[in-house]
Amino acid sequence: MKRKERLRAGVIHFLLILLAIVTLTPFVHIALIAFGENVVGTGVAVPRSFTLRHFSLLLSETHFLRWMLNSFLIAVATVGVAVVLVSISVYALSRLRFYGREHLFRAILLIQVFPLTLAMVSIFRIFAAMGLLNRMAGLIVVNAVLASTGLILVAKGYFDTIPMDIDEAAKIDGASRLTILWKINLPLAKPMMMIVAIQSFVIAYNEYVLSSTVMTQGLDRMPLAVGLQSMIVGQYGTNWSLYCAGAIIGSAPMLIIFYSLQKYFIGGLTEGSVKS
Amino acid sequence: MIDTNKVWTLSLSVFLACIAFLWLPSVAFASEPVRVWFSHIEAENETLRAIAREFTSETGIPVEIISRRSVFDAPADLVNNAELSDRPDVIFMQAPDIGGLVASGYLLPLKIGQDLRGRFAEVAFTAFSYQGNVYGIGYSVDTSGLVYNKALIAPSDLPKTWEDFFETACALTKTNAEKKVIQYGARLNPKDMWFNYPIIREYGGYYYGTLPNGSYNAYDIGLDCQSMLGYVERMKCAMNENLTISNPNHTESHISHDFACGKVAMILYGLWNAQIYQNMGVDYGIAPLPRHRDGSVSRPLSTVQGFVINRFSLQPEAAWAFLNYMSRDENQQRLIESGNRGPQKTGERNPANIAVMSSTYIQSDEILSSLCQIGKQSEPFPNIPEGPIWYNYTPTAFRTIFFGDQKEREVDPEQHLCMLADRIRADVAAMNERADPLLLPDWLWVWVLCAFSGGVGLWLFIRRKRPRSRYRERPSKKETLLAWLLLTPLILLVAFFYLYPIGHNVYLSLTDYSGINLRDYRVVGLTNYRYLFTAQIAGLVSLTLWTIGFAVSVIGLSFLLATLFATLLERIRFSLSRVYRVIFILPWVIPAVITLLMWQGLLETEGGLVNQLLGAFGLPAVPWLSHPIWARVSVVLVMTWFSFPYFMVIVQGLLKTIPQSFYDVARIEGANAYRVFTGITLPWVFRAMLPMLIMGLVMQFNQFGVYLLTQGGPAGDTLGAPGATDLLITYVFNTAFNTKRYALAASYSVIIFLFVGGLALGTMILRKAATRA
Repeated sequence: MKRKERLRAGVIHFLLILLAIVTLTPFVHIALIAFGENVVGTGVAVPRSFTLRHFSLLLSETHFLRWMLNSFLIAVATVGVAVVLVSISVYALSRLRFYGREHLFRAILLIQVFPLTLAMVSIFRIFAAMGLLNRMAGLIVVNAVLASTGLILVAKGYFDTIPMDIDEAAKIDGASRLTILWKINLPLAKPMMMIVAIQSFVIAYNEYVLSSTVMTQGLDRMPLAVGLQSMIVGQYGTNWSLYCAGAIIGSAPMLIIFYSLQKYFIGGLTEGSVKS
Repeated sequence: MIDTNKVWTLSLSVFLACIAFLWLPSVAFASEPVRVWFSHIEAENETLRAIAREFTSETGIPVEIISRRSVFDAPADLVNNAELSDRPDVIFMQAPDIGGLVASGYLLPLKIGQDLRGRFAEVAFTAFSYQGNVYGIGYSVDTSGLVYNKALIAPSDLPKTWEDFFETACALTKTNAEKKVIQYGARLNPKDMWFNYPIIREYGGYYYGTLPNGSYNAYDIGLDCQSMLGYVERMKCAMNENLTISNPNHTESHISHDFACGKVAMILYGLWNAQIYQNMGVDYGIAPLPRHRDGSVSRPLSTVQGFVINRFSLQPEAAWAFLNYMSRDENQQRLIESGNRGPQKTGERNPANIAVMSSTYIQSDEILSSLCQIGKQSEPFPNIPEGPIWYNYTPTAFRTIFFGDQKEREVDPEQHLCMLADRIRADVAAMNERADPLLLPDWLWVWVLCAFSGGVGLWLFIRRKRPRSRYRERPSKKETLLAWLLLTPLILLVAFFYLYPIGHNVYLSLTDYSGINLRDYRVVGLTNYRYLFTAQIAGLVSLTLWTIGFAVSVIGLSFLLATLFATLLERIRFSLSRVYRVIFILPWVIPAVITLLMWQGLLETEGGLVNQLLGAFGLPAVPWLSHPIWARVSVVLVMTWFSFPYFMVIVQGLLKTIPQSFYDVARIEGANAYRVFTGITLPWVFRAMLPMLIMGLVMQFNQFGVYLLTQGGPAGDTLGAPGATDLLITYVFNTAFNTKRYALAASYSVIIFLFVGGLALGTMILRKAATRA
């Protein structure tokens, strides 16, 4: 019996380690290129010697820290807007019975099927019309929209699991709708809010296509993903080591946030997807 | 009643805040400066700013220098910004990009005086000439030459003619006892068209032919002429002499890598990796190319970068004055020096100004002066909008000619060159086609509109009749009002950032908007849709089937893997599972663009890390991205790698919701772990995740990541047919974008949106019906 147990544990660990290796390989590759000396392309063998030169070049020759700060600020503000937007919208969709509820919810889901990346000309026009070009505010709003529409399915699923009885009991006790939302629903939905927060952070921090279209002026005003892309200066002239070094430092804040909030994040996602 | 009031006030203020946030006034300049979009090199921008200050103090015209991300974005950004209030006046861009801009009327023709013309190399103006007018002034010439390793070949021994080049290269190629090449005389890429272009010229091939008036004739393709067969023969000969890459998947970066390792005497390349050659201890030089048979100079292709003026500039005279000011010899000198990072002399900027060329800064450096010499005599890449069409086909076509077709059979070069030229001509024709508008009569529109609204009305009427028993209570008017009010911010934002783009896209799909008609496009009705439904998309059925197969495999596999590994994680100690979870989550948080590029490198057949690992276990190398079937497998696996972490996190929580009683019953019945997994865990998780899975599936139809990984390849033998890993959306967009038919692309996106959206809606309704039943 004991041997069988041990064998089973062995198999489990073997599978897990295998997957861990598969997951980590590309990151090892990124690190090899970032630390490697004299790397020509992305596909060329393991470098012979290693250096920290690319990291110091990144900090001295480019606006790297500024880009990171820009992205960080955009991401934090996006989180704020998205959390408010999602909580009031989901409250309405989940707690209120109204005409057109189902259709509206479906429409919001379906509209995301349209690949926005292909409609950049139209997006640019709307940005120009609103005077949002080259301004962080524009990116914040549009990232928040992308995040909220994307998360509304999970968020509604979660809200639906909070029993209506609690609301009704509170109502009988004379609590106003606002009080119920603020004091009962939202605290119960805290894990869901954490997902919305972290997922919108990830979206805003990594967003590239939109930002590159609407942020046209000033290297120091670029968000991180766009700034990094400026190192790809052509088919032949790209400095991959610098690019990968940037990717490594750039992802650090996200990993830190992710790991420190992991507890809430995972707890939240899970329950959100359970339908009653 | 206070409660509702409060909520009202809250939602109203949220709404107003949103509006206020969106319409914050933008900062305006006191007096409008001349705006110059310049470089991604900040040192260069600073120099131009200093020059601008001097200009302002002399003339009183304010100038603003705007640092830019990359010169590649300049054309698209100019189109977007050309008529805005802070429009750029002077723009730094690449000469090959001007064709479409001139055709659409975005650039101002310049009157180049004798003095200016005399102070720059001819190429600075020819590159920016379009149909008899000059639209810009060249600043830097990006080109290639004969890069050689001084340790292997002395400068005096460099070949004088192309014949000499191949002979010298042969003589310098050394093999060891096992017939393995240890030193290459030269290394060429037979698939390439850019660096080998001078050799193609030597044998009589050419790029677009020219009309008597000097402008290009896009229908004259210099590839299917008899003399090109001489080139093919010469290259095949070079292949046998080990003067080319032997792996059909290798590219210039492999050649450059070999050169950096000191194994190659001569390559046709630029100085993009010069820093690395230096670090690796290679004493390199760059020389002009060998001469042609008739003694004339071989001219490599070049990309000239320079300055153009926005046609919609509000102050074209001031812009022109500043352009002249910065084109002064002493200012060009300052700019070029800072662009080459001063004493570092990186070679990033290769001057077009003659005084700068002969300055001590350039002349004291053997490499820079040689590069100047080459640049001066280079052939600027055709700047007509049709220019880049070639590169969509030449790599595949030359690969087939030199390395054989998909089944590695040799092909007839003549027939294949004809096919290539025909394909290019067909695209040129498609790009310039002006189809007749297919306008529907107005009464039909009215009729359709009436029928549509009638249908909606009827539908609503029928719905009202249905009993509303499934609601606990009829929705109250008050609650409806409140709900819609609360949802207003989201609905408004969705309308701005989703509905408007979709609507605008529908509008564009009804016009003749294209890369050569970016501004004055007109409504042509359903022409694009007619094309879309009548054009034979090669292999549309198999393309659609593969797209569906791809989406289902990725989501199915992600779901299975996620459930399996989430279950496994439950069975080990918590402290350990935390570590694993931390690792498994990585693909989700790191930008996909970077990791996709990494996968591309990892999966290379020769030298890729994955095959090296397999080799370490004694397994044979797998052609991950170069064999049609393996490429499909790789694409599915890599995309699964991206999507399983998110699923796994969700499944982990779902597992906790499975009632313990289920497991107890299973245990009593003596089910083993496998039975429990397939009988209890999988169905439970599947049911709970179904809405997410449907959405995930639908999103895979728009998967552009695949394109980053494989560029849709490996390509089939027919030029222009979908590659093995092309998805429906990537393929149709490529065919439309390659020929810059943006309106056609818009109509594709509308049709695909309707198709995929309909699919999703159908599934949602079916699921709803199933759960209700």
